[in-house]
Amino acid sequence: MGYKLTPAGFGALLDELATNYQIFGPVRYAGKGRLAGTDLTTYGPVRSVSDLVWDARTTFAPKEVFFPVKESLLYFSGQEITEPSLEMKETLVFLRACDLNAVSRLDKIFLANGPEPDSYYARRRQHIHFVLMECQEGFPGCFCVSMGTNMATGHQAALRLENDHYLLQALAEPWIALGERYGQPARVEPVWVEKNPLTVRVPERVDIALFQHELWREYACRCIACGRCTLSCPTCSCFSVQDVIYRDNPERGERRRVWASCQIDGFTDMAGGHQVRADRGDRIRFKVLHKIYDFRRRFGINMCVGCGRCEEVCPEYISFARCVNTLNQLMEVQGRDA
Amino acid sequence: MPNPYLPVPAKILAIQPQTPVDYTFKLATDIEPAWGQFVEISLPGYGEAPISISDAGAGYIELTIRRVGQVTTALHRLNPGDTVYLRGPYGTGFPLAEFAGHQLVIAAGGTGVAPVKGLINYYANHPGELEGLHLLLGFKTPADILFRADIERWQTIFPTILTVDQGPGGWPGRVGLVTEFVREIPLKPHARIIVVGPPLMIEFTVAEFIKHQVNPEQIWVSLERRMHCGLGKCGHCKINDFYVCLEGPVFNYSQARNLVD
Amino acid sequence: MSYNTKELIKNAYRITSQRGFTALRIRVPGGHLEASYLGLIQDIARRYGNGTVHLTTRQGFEIPGIPLDKVPEVNRLLAPLLEKEAALGVPIENFQAGYPAAGTRNVTACIGSRVCPFANFDTIALAQKIESLIYPNHYHVKIAITGCPNDCIKAHLQDIGIIGQVEPEYDPGRCIACQACVKNCRQFIVGALEMDNYQVQRDGKRCLGCGECILQCPMAAWTRGPRYYRIVALGRTGKKSPRLAATFLEWIDEKAVLQVIANLYRYIDRHIDRSLPKEHVGYIVDRTGYQVFKEELLEGVDLGPKGRVARELPFYGYSYDRNLYMEG
Ligand SMILES: Cc1cc2nc3c(=O)[nH]c(=O)nc-3n(C[C@H](O)[C@H](O)[C@H](O)COP(=O)(O)OP(=O)(O)OC[C@H]3O[C@@H](n4cnc5c(N)ncnc54)[C@H](O)[C@@H]3O)c2cc1C
Ligand code: SF4
Ligand code: SF4
Ligand code: SF4
Ligand code: SF4
Ligand code: SF4
Ligand code: FES
Repeated sequence: MGYKLTPAGFGALLDELATNYQIFGPVRYAGKGRLAGTDLTTYGPVRSVSDLVWDARTTFAPKEVFFPVKESLLYFSGQEITEPSLEMKETLVFLRACDLNAVSRLDKIFLANGPEPDSYYARRRQHIHFVLMECQEGFPGCFCVSMGTNMATGHQAALRLENDHYLLQALAEPWIALGERYGQPARVEPVWVEKNPLTVRVPERVDIALFQHELWREYACRCIACGRCTLSCPTCSCFSVQDVIYRDNPERGERRRVWASCQIDGFTDMAGGHQVRADRGDRIRFKVLHKIYDFRRRFGINMCVGCGRCEEVCPEYISFARCVNTLNQLMEVQGRDA
Repeated sequence: MPNPYLPVPAKILAIQPQTPVDYTFKLATDIEPAWGQFVEISLPGYGEAPISISDAGAGYIELTIRRVGQVTTALHRLNPGDTVYLRGPYGTGFPLAEFAGHQLVIAAGGTGVAPVKGLINYYANHPGELEGLHLLLGFKTPADILFRADIERWQTIFPTILTVDQGPGGWPGRVGLVTEFVREIPLKPHARIIVVGPPLMIEFTVAEFIKHQVNPEQIWVSLERRMHCGLGKCGHCKINDFYVCLEGPVFNYSQARNLVD
Repeated sequence: MSYNTKELIKNAYRITSQRGFTALRIRVPGGHLEASYLGLIQDIARRYGNGTVHLTTRQGFEIPGIPLDKVPEVNRLLAPLLEKEAALGVPIENFQAGYPAAGTRNVTACIGSRVCPFANFDTIALAQKIESLIYPNHYHVKIAITGCPNDCIKAHLQDIGIIGQVEPEYDPGRCIACQACVKNCRQFIVGALEMDNYQVQRDGKRCLGCGECILQCPMAAWTRGPRYYRIVALGRTGKKSPRLAATFLEWIDEKAVLQVIANLYRYIDRHIDRSLPKEHVGYIVDRTGYQVFKEELLEGVDLGPKGRVARELPFYGYSYDRNLYMEG
C-alpha cells in the first residue's frame, strides 16, 4: 500500500506510533562531532520528523539499538547469581538498505553460530521492527550495489523523502492503518540505488598464500589500531566479557559484555603473554577476510554490506574497498598464471 | 530460550596442588565431557576462564589450573567446600573413533598434559581399544611436572618418555625438548598422533613427526586462543572461518596447518 | 629630510637601517587573509618598496624599502585593507591615512579549527573579534590565540595568550574500555585519566581541556562539552628577563575573555609610566605587582561556575645572567 504524507501528516503519524513504540533512527547531535564545530550523526531516539537525518550517513550503525554497547549478563549478590530481566517496548528502527541487510549478518552470529542461540540478543531482537529509509544515491564510499545489499527485505514499511513530502510504502500493520489515517493513497514503488561511484569486486576465493603478501605490510605501519572501522561497522559483532564489583557495594556486581574490536590491542592476548596478530597488518587482513570471505564460507553470504562507514571513519585513510579490490586483482592474476 | 551464559554452581570436592602454581580442582558436577573439551569456570566479580577438563568421572570433573591472572589467582585462594560456577562442556574433543585399533602417540608439553590426562587414563582403563599407546611428556624442570602419581602409573602400563628441558643434578630422567625424542618412538605407518602444549612446542613437535613420514591427517592438536564466551559469539577465538571454541580446541592438523591467525 | 618619527611609527612604519627608507607593517588579524589582498601587497612592494615582502613573526606582511616621502601615497593605497578592518568592527576615521595605530600589535592566531583537527575552536574568528575590541590603540600589547595547548602560535610568549579548552563529556554507556584516551593522556598530556573498574575517571583539576580524549575515542564515549578558554599572561621576550607566560585564568567563557582584555587596557591606562617613551605591560605589572593586576583585570568579570584564577603567577626559569651557569 502506498501513501503520500506531508511532513505534518508524517509527524502526526510518528506521534501516534510513539505511544506504543520507541523509535530510533539517524539523528544529529549538534556540536558533538569529534572535531570542533562538527555534529555527530548517529542512532538515537527520534522525537519528531525533523529529527530524522536524510542527508548524511551515521557514524555508528543501528546495531546498538538491539546489540547494546554494554549489556549486563548477570548480576551478583553475595553468592547469588541472577539474570537481568528485560522489559522492552516494541521498537522501530529507521534504517537504510545496507544496514537492514547487516541485521541478517548479526542474526547469523548471535542466533545461528554454534549450537546455542544468544538469549540476550534474541530477546531484544524479537521486539525490533524496521522501517526502510530509501536511498536516492548513497554517500561517498558506499558500495552496496557491489555487495548486493542495495535492496532489502524484512521491513514493515519503506519511506522516501521526495521534495517536500514523504512517500510511504506500507507492507504491514500498523503502517497500513496509519497511512490511511495520515496520508493520501498513492502509487509507491520501491526505489533502490542502482549505481555507486565505488565498485568493489569480491574475490570468489582467497588463497592462503596471500596471507603472507606484502600488501598487508603496508597496513602494519599505516593502521593505528584504533578500532573505528569495526566499531562503526553494522556487521561487527565481537564483544568482551567484564566482571565488575560495584565500588559502592563490594557484595554486589555484574558480569557484562561490551563491544570489542579485533583491531584493538589486547583482543587476542592470553595469559602468559602469548598474543596472536600482534602485527596490525595481520589484523587488517583478519578483518577484511572476515568481511568478505570467512563469513561467507560459514554462512553463504558476505558479512560486509558495503555501507562505507569503515571508509569514512578511518583516521588514516585506509580504504577497505581498495584492499578488497587489490585482493581480487591478486587472485585474478593468480588465476591467470595457474 | 535457555540462557547459555548462565553458569551453575559447583562445589569444590578437593584441591590437589601439582606444583606451586598449578592446582587440580575436583568439582562436583554432572557434566559428562568428551576428552579434550573445556568448561568456562567463573567466580562472580573476578571473571570467567576457559579451562580444559583434565579428568572426569561419575559426578565430578577435574580442572588443572595454572595461576596466571585475575580469575585463576582468585580460584587458587579457594578451599574445598567453596563454590565455583561452571558452564559447558564446550568445544570438540578428541575423535576416539579415529584412534580405535591404531597405535596412538601422545606428545604433551607442560600444561598441555592437562587436556589429555583424562584421555590417557581412559586408555589405561581400556587398553584394548588401541594398538598401543606411547607417551612423550615434557616439562620445563622436574619441579614443573604435573600429575606425578598418574605418570607413575602410566609408566607401568605404556611406553613413556618423561623429559625435562633442564635437569638439575640428581634428576635421573631424560633431559631435552620433546622434539628430540620423537625419533625414539617406533612409529607404525598408521599411527595416530596427538600434540598438545605451548604454540612453539606444537609447531616444532608436529614438524618432527612429519619428518618421520607421518601425514598431517594422522595428527591432532589442541589449540588455545583467547576466549570470552565459548559459544561462538564473542569472536575472540576465531581463526579463518573456524571458531576454536566450536570446531576446536582439538583440530586435525590437516586443518590446523591452514589456520593462520 | 624632516620626518616625525613618532608619527611614522604610530602609522605602522618603521625607522629602518636604511636612511630615508621605511618599512610598512600590514596587519592581518588572526593571520588569515583573503588571497585577493595579496595583489595589493605585491603592487605596493613592487611600485614603492624594493620588490620584497617579509613575513613577520606576528603574521603580518612587512614591505621594506619604501622611500619616506612616498608614505602618504602608500597610505592611500591601503584603503581596501582598512575597509576590511572596518568590516571587522574596527573604528577607522580616515581610510586614506594608513593605519591609525601600531602599539597594539597584530592579534595572531594558529590556524584553528578551520584546518587543524586538534583545535577546539575557530581561533581566527576570535582574533578578529578581539581586533575590533582593542584596535586602534597605541599601548604596546601582544595577544595571541591558539586552538589547543599545543600552542602552535606560542601564546606563552605573549602578554595575553588565549588557549582554547573544551570540557570533555563522558558517557560510560559507550565506553568499551579500549584505553586509547587513558594511554594518550598519560603519555602525551597531563595524565588526567585513569581506568577504574572498566570505567574512565577524569581528574577535572588536572585536565587541560585539550580535547585529545575526544579525538582518540573510537566510540564517541567522549564528546565535546562546553567550550572554555585558558588565559596565560605576561610572557615576554626582550632584553630584560624573558619568560614564559603563566596560567592566569582557566575554564572561562568568551565573554569573560573579552572583558579581561578590555580591563587590561584600562589597567595600563591607570598605571603606565608616562615619563617613558613607551612602557610595555609586562614591566608595568613588575611595578604594580600581580595582585593589583589581577584585581583590576577581573573587575566586572563573571568567571562562571568553572572559572579558576591564579593565586600568583609563578614565573620560573630563564635568566640572562649567564654568569650563573656559563663555563669560563
Ligand atoms: C580451550 C582452552 C583451554 C585451556 N585450558 C587450560 C587449562 O587446562 N589449565 C590452565 O591453567 N589454563 C588453561 N587455559 C588458559 C586459561 O584460560 C587462562 O590462563 C585463563 O583464562 C587466565 O585467566 P585469568 O583471569 O587468570 O588471567 P588474566 O590474564 O587476568 O585474564 C583476563 C581475561 O583474559 C582471558 N584469557 C587470558 N588468557 C587466556 C587464554 N590463554 N585463553 C583464553 N582466554 C584467556 C580470560 O578469559 C579473561 O577474560 C585454557 C585456555 C583455552 C582457550
Ligand atoms: S566492512 Fe566497512 S563497508 Fe563493509 S559493512 Fe563494515 S563498515 Fe560497512
Ligand atoms: S572484523 Fe573483527 S571485530 Fe568485526 S566481527 Fe570480525 S573479528 Fe569481530
Ligand atoms: S579505522 Fe583505520 S587506523 Fe583505525 S583500526 Fe581501522 S584501519 Fe586501523
Ligand atoms: S581534555 Fe586533554 S588533558 Fe583533559 S582528560 Fe582529555 S586528553 Fe587529558
Ligand atoms: S577511548 Fe573512548 S572507548 Fe576507549 S577507554 Fe577512552 S572513553 Fe572508553
Ligand atoms: S570464545 Fe567466543 S567465539 Fe569462541
